[in-house]
Amino acid sequence: MEMTQIAANGKPGTPTSADAAIEITRVSKQFHDGEGGVVEALRSTSLTIGQGDFIAVVGPSGCGKSTLLNMLGGFDTPSSGNILVENEPVEGPDIERGMVFQDYALFPWLSVLDNVMFGLRKTHSKEDARATAMKWLDLVGLKDFAKKHPKHLSGGMKQRVAIARTFATDPKVILMDEPFGALDALTRRFLQQQLLKIWSEHRKTVVFITHSVQEAVYLANRVVVMTARPGRVKLDQKIDLPYPRTITAPEFRDIETRVFEALDEELAKTFAVEGSDAYAD
Amino acid sequence: MPDNSDMTPLPTGEGRLQAFAKEHASQASKNAAAAVGPYVLALLMVALVWQLAIVALDPPSTILPSLGKVAGTFFEELFSGELLVNAGVSLARVATAWLISGVIGIPLGVLIARNGMAERLIDPVIELFRPISPLAWIPLAILWFGIGEAGKVFIIFIATFFPIVLNTVDGIKRVDPVLLRAGQVLGCTNSAELFFRVMLPAALPSILVGLRVSFGTGWAAIIAAELVAANSGLGYLIADGMEILRSDLVMVGMIAIGIIGVLVDALFKALAKRIA
Repeated sequence: MEMTQIAANGKPGTPTSADAAIEITRVSKQFHDGEGGVVEALRSTSLTIGQGDFIAVVGPSGCGKSTLLNMLGGFDTPSSGNILVENEPVEGPDIERGMVFQDYALFPWLSVLDNVMFGLRKTHSKEDARATAMKWLDLVGLKDFAKKHPKHLSGGMKQRVAIARTFATDPKVILMDEPFGALDALTRRFLQQQLLKIWSEHRKTVVFITHSVQEAVYLANRVVVMTARPGRVKLDQKIDLPYPRTITAPEFRDIETRVFEALDEELAKTFAVEGSDAYAD
Repeated sequence: MPDNSDMTPLPTGEGRLQAFAKEHASQASKNAAAAVGPYVLALLMVALVWQLAIVALDPPSTILPSLGKVAGTFFEELFSGELLVNAGVSLARVATAWLISGVIGIPLGVLIARNGMAERLIDPVIELFRPISPLAWIPLAILWFGIGEAGKVFIIFIATFFPIVLNTVDGIKRVDPVLLRAGQVLGCTNSAELFFRVMLPAALPSILVGLRVSFGTGWAAIIAAELVAANSGLGYLIADGMEILRSDLVMVGMIAIGIIGVLVDALFKALAKRIA
């Protein structure tokens, strides 16, 4: 039902909803580790993400999921292979690919309102930018905090501002790098619900990195499990459960278990290699 | 005798200060009282030691005048305009050189922080010159510029330059990279835009610290420069007081230096607080 809304959202000339929003083709990434060695973060990974999909990526620490997100954001380039977003190769960061960071990245010298207006200044008139920013602040329930500075907000509120700031610029794709990782369980749950509400009303393609399997299965309509380093796609799990999902429902548990099983195999490998502190969730 | 008559208003003055402090503590926030309290206490202690020294040692007033006499001279100089004119001259010299330092030092600091080549070239030069006290430049300044304004401005430039450059470098280097990324995904498409919309505002608190600290070092240096070679300014007032054996005048000059220094610093702090 929600899939039909995408076509209405699509701009003239863009492909139909069946077309891919993101196409990752045989992407590999190697780093120099600074001691003359080479670390292979990602090995020949391919992934096609549809318009309006909510993809959650989970995997052991160091599996290259953040590397992948950084390449999608244009902060990093693949060593080989290519990435197309809306049929265009990624060349550096762009406002069309919004990003929500784990540590919020709000500009401390700007008020909440000015933070949300930041990305609108070049494309909107001042009144327009203000109205749009206020609309989004209202959507995340922080209208009354527009004049406040970020330092007066709690972590959860800061992340809501960051989410409003990203959605306000109306990007084609939203990349979220463990956005709720630093929040307490209750705040996290609240923000997950709020994000789902926004996503269902303003259908965007979302790539969401998380350490939490439950969070992934709760939010996404597709969960991708990455292998231990070098990262590849281990499991690509579609989730058709209707929203809002009940984490105690048997169907939810089934999918969660499947994801955990895939992850556990990779964790075992990571521990075998490192014998150390790598874990997920 | 005039010393004694001048001394009588003192206790009431002290009493007023205390009362003022108490009133402040009860009415205004505890923060304000906590900020002012130590200064009041320090002043009272200085006054106490001063008066004890006079009672115990009974020095001639050319060596150590009474508190009352100094207060009298202070207001005399204040109302005659002499003090304000000299303070104004000194402040103008510092402000001029400080502005020049800022105009050169802030862009230079940005360059050093952002360009590895510039850092390797300029950093050693700064490290070589930084330990040389601005006061050590006074003889050269006199040789090069005589005792006119240029020499004084030169010395204050030396005194204010390094704190401004170093704090700018530090501020720019410490900008959280994630803020730059946020700026980029929010539409800053070129480095100039990213610099003015993200990097500079993020580094501003540190740059302001540099400006504040350097005004302080400049203010300390101008007095020294004026002591040696000037015919106006607070330093000159002090040097003049020494020559005509007026220790009260010397002290008035010193007190004015202290008051202005604290006021300017407080002004900067208030400004920084508003911005950050």
